[in-house]
Amino acid sequence: MSGEEEENAADLKIGEEFLKAKCLMNCEVALILEHKYEQLQQMSDDPMNQVSQVFEKSLQYVKRFSRYKNPDAVRQVREILSRYQLAEFELCVLGNLCPETVEEAIAMVPSIKTKGRAHDDDAIERMLNDLSLIKKFE
Amino acid sequence: MFLKVQMPWNVIIPADSLDAKGLMLKKAIVIRLMDEFACKKAAKDLGYLMAVTALESIGEGRVRQNTGDVLFPVVFTGITFKMFRGEIQQGVVHKVLKHGVFLRCGPVQNIYLSHVKMPDYHYVPGESGMFMNDKHSKIEKDVVIRFIVIGTKWMEAEREFQALVSLEGDYLGPVS
Repeated sequence: MSGEEEENAADLKIGEEFLKAKCLMNCEVALILEHKYEQLQQMSDDPMNQVSQVFEKSLQYVKRFSRYKNPDAVRQVREILSRYQLAEFELCVLGNLCPETVEEAIAMVPSIKTKGRAHDDDAIERMLNDLSLIKKFE
Repeated sequence: MFLKVQMPWNVIIPADSLDAKGLMLKKAIVIRLMDEFACKKAAKDLGYLMAVTALESIGEGRVRQNTGDVLFPVVFTGITFKMFRGEIQQGVVHKVLKHGVFLRCGPVQNIYLSHVKMPDYHYVPGESGMFMNDKHSKIEKDVVIRFIVIGTKWMEAEREFQALVSLEGDYLGPVS
């Protein structure tokens, strides 16, 4: 099992290149892969032949596990979460799992409470409230 | 976690696919990349290779002496999927055995959750088998589970990742 450099996403120890990479929420990936699939449909008679197993399984997965379907809602989620000084990785875990309480949010992304970061419970609660408003209007 | 990463790659275009117009070259390169993704499936350091979202740059082509193909060094942005130790994810149970269950998450088909890592759940034998706890929460085929990743392994021969996961932690377990 890999334990190189003591990788631990709970502490945001995921390797420098991944900390710098842009992470995508399931709902964002769903929009991208669906668009790609449509492009393939236009280019060929049998798009399913063209896409790999990896693409197909991933598309199925993100469609099922997207909390937000509407492109405007997806943009709003990214925009709201971006206001809270989160690492890309943290932002996407929250956008994917949609915790309902502050305790749940901290359990999903323990790193938001470590390293003396300015995420007090009130800020986290405000963030969750903002997110829940989007779901209501989707 | 899905990642959008910028990567360098050497794309080999067969001589007969080359066209004078720049547009056709880009299309040929993207098609070659998607074909290579389909073959390679995943890379140890990048994760599963999914799609190309943008071609950032195409370097000067170099003709390969023996075959007449042209090698283009390109930089592109693509989507990959990788699981990280300590990450919390959601997956679906696809197989139940008496010592644990197998899950799928995104393109990863081989995720194992041992009964040792399911606190308070015990195996209930039956037609398909399941795990249950005192509160009658069930872990059986097609149930969605929220888990924490405790380790990942790259299997070179199969070109796939496997993962070991656990339910030890708050707010983990079956999700309704």
